[in-house]
Amino acid sequence: MNNVLGISILILYICVLIAIGFYGGQVSKKTREDYFMAGRGLGSIAVFMALFASNITAFTIIGHAGFSYEIGYGAYGYVIGWSIFITPFTYYLVGYRSWLLGKRYGYATQPQVFGGIFNSKLISLLFLVLLLYYTLPYLVVSIIGGSLAFTTVTEGLVPYWASAIVIIGISLIYTLPAGLRGTVWTDIFQGTLFLVVAAFLLSAVARALGGFSEITGQIVETNPAMLQRSLSAELAPINWFSYSFVNSIAVIVFPQIYIRILAARSSRNLKQVSLYYPLALAAIFGVSTLLGVWGSVAVPGLTGKEADNIVPMLIHQFLTPTWMVLGLVVVLAIVKSSIDSQLLSVAHLVTDDFLPRFKRINSQQAVFWGRILLIIFAAIAYYIAYIRPGAILTIAAFAFSGFSVMLPVMIGALYWPRATWQGACAALVFPAVMLHLWYLDILPRWTTFGFMPVFPSFILAVLTLIVVSYLTPAPSAGQREKTFGIFDRVFK
Amino acid sequence: MKFKTRLRLVILIVFIMFLLHNSFWLWDLDDRVSLLFDFMPFAFSYYIGYALLALLAMRLIIAIGWPDPPEDLIKQTDEQRSNNL
Repeated sequence: MNNVLGISILILYICVLIAIGFYGGQVSKKTREDYFMAGRGLGSIAVFMALFASNITAFTIIGHAGFSYEIGYGAYGYVIGWSIFITPFTYYLVGYRSWLLGKRYGYATQPQVFGGIFNSKLISLLFLVLLLYYTLPYLVVSIIGGSLAFTTVTEGLVPYWASAIVIIGISLIYTLPAGLRGTVWTDIFQGTLFLVVAAFLLSAVARALGGFSEITGQIVETNPAMLQRSLSAELAPINWFSYSFVNSIAVIVFPQIYIRILAARSSRNLKQVSLYYPLALAAIFGVSTLLGVWGSVAVPGLTGKEADNIVPMLIHQFLTPTWMVLGLVVVLAIVKSSIDSQLLSVAHLVTDDFLPRFKRINSQQAVFWGRILLIIFAAIAYYIAYIRPGAILTIAAFAFSGFSVMLPVMIGALYWPRATWQGACAALVFPAVMLHLWYLDILPRWTTFGFMPVFPSFILAVLTLIVVSYLTPAPSAGQREKTFGIFDRVFK
Repeated sequence: MKFKTRLRLVILIVFIMFLLHNSFWLWDLDDRVSLLFDFMPFAFSYYIGYALLALLAMRLIIAIGWPDPPEDLIKQTDEQRSNNL
C-alpha cells in the first residue's frame, strides 16, 4: 500500500464523492419529491447507471468470482444467464406501468403504488413490512461482504470494524445532503469507474498470466471439467431451473431499484435502459467469471470461503501495487453504490409510508426525517454488521427468494383487474410463511419436489392470488378505472 | 394489431428466451465446440450470444408492446404534481 500513485487515486476518488455530495446538496430543493425522487427528472444515463450500480454488489466481483473458481465457466449462465434478459424485461413488465401510475398519482414507493391500486392500507403496510424485513438483512450482508473485501484488499491494514465505518461513512457523506440525486450522480461516476477499471483489470491479469489463449489452454489441459456444466452437481438442471426464480426476478422488487424507475423522466429513458442493460450485466459478470476461472489455474488449491478472495489474490500476486489500490477503489465503488441506495430507500419507505400513519409530515419535514432515519439505519446496520448475528444472516440467505415471491402480486395488480386486496394480502403472506418453513427446515425438503423453495413458493403466490381473488368480491368499477383507465389509454 | 395480440407476442418472446436459457440439451456441446476467439468455451460464449439476443428481444418488445403515453396524459400529470408540491 506504500504507493504514492495508488494512494493519490484513492484520495482523489473520495474527494470526487465528497464534491458530488456537496454540489448535489447545493442544487437540491428541500422537498420530499426532490430529495427522494430527484424531482422525477432522471435521464437515460442517470437511470441506467443508478439501476446498474445499485444492482451490482460485492457478490459480483468477490462472491461470483469465488463461485466461478469452484464451478467453472458454467457459473456465468447459472448466476446471471436468465437475469441478462429477464431483469430488463421486468423494467418493462412492472416498471413501466408503475411509472405511469407514479406520474399520474404521485406515487413514489411500492406501498403507495400497490396500496393505491387495491385502495388498501393493509396492502400498503404488508409491502412496507416485507420490503424492510428483506432489505435490512440484505443491506447488512452487503456491508459485511464489502467490509471483508476492503480488509482483504488492504491486506488487513484496515480492520473489519474500520472498513465498515469507512464504507458507511463515505456513503453518508453524499447521501445525507443530496438524497437520491447524490446517489445517482455518484452511481454514474462509480458505475463508469468500475466498468472501465474491471475491463483494464481483466486485460492486465490476462497479460500477467501469459495472455487470454495461454491461460485458457492451461485450463483445458489441467482442469477440463471447468468447461463442462454437466459435470457439476451444483449446476444440476433442477437447480439451474429453480435459480431462474431467485435473483433475476427479484431485482424489480428491490425498493432501491423500483424507486429509481419511478424517478425516470420519460418513457423513452426507461426504454433505453431496458435495451442496453443486458450488455452491461453480461460484461461485468463476464469479467468476474473469467477472473475466477483463471484463478483456479493461477492460484490453485483454494477451498470454501478462501475462493472468494481470488480476485484480490490475483491482483496481489500478479500485478503492481497500483493495481491493488485500483482494485480497492473498484470494491469500494461497487459496495457503496448498492449500500447507499439501500440505505436511502429504507429511510424513504419509513418516512413516506410509516411515519405518516402517526404524524402529518409536510414536504420539508420529510427531508429532515429522511436524513435522521438515514443516520439511524446506518448506525443500526453498522451495529448488526459488527456483531453479525446468525438470525440476520439466515434471513439474508433467502431475502432474494423473499423478494421474488412478492412479484406475482405486483404483476397481478398491474395486469389483472379482477385481483382483489384479499387475494393480494393472502398471496403476500402465505408464500412468505412457506418460504420460511422450508428455509428454516421446519418442513421436510421433499415437499419442494427437489426444487429450490423459491419455485414452489412462487407458484403458491400465483395460485393464492387467483383463488382468493375469485372467492372474494371483485373490485368496484371506480377502483378498477383508477388504475386500468390509465393503462387503457396507453396500451390501445 | 390489438394490444392483447401484441402482449401475446411479448409472452412468446419471453418463453423462447426462457427456453434458450434452460437449454440443457445443448450442454453436451460444452466440450465439443471449439473456443471462441481462443479463450471462450461454449458454456461462456453461449451467454455472450444470449446477451446480444436479449438486446434484440428487448428491441422487439419495445417496438411491439411499449407505447409511449399520450402527451396530454403526461402533461396533465406533471401539472398536477407541480400543484401538489
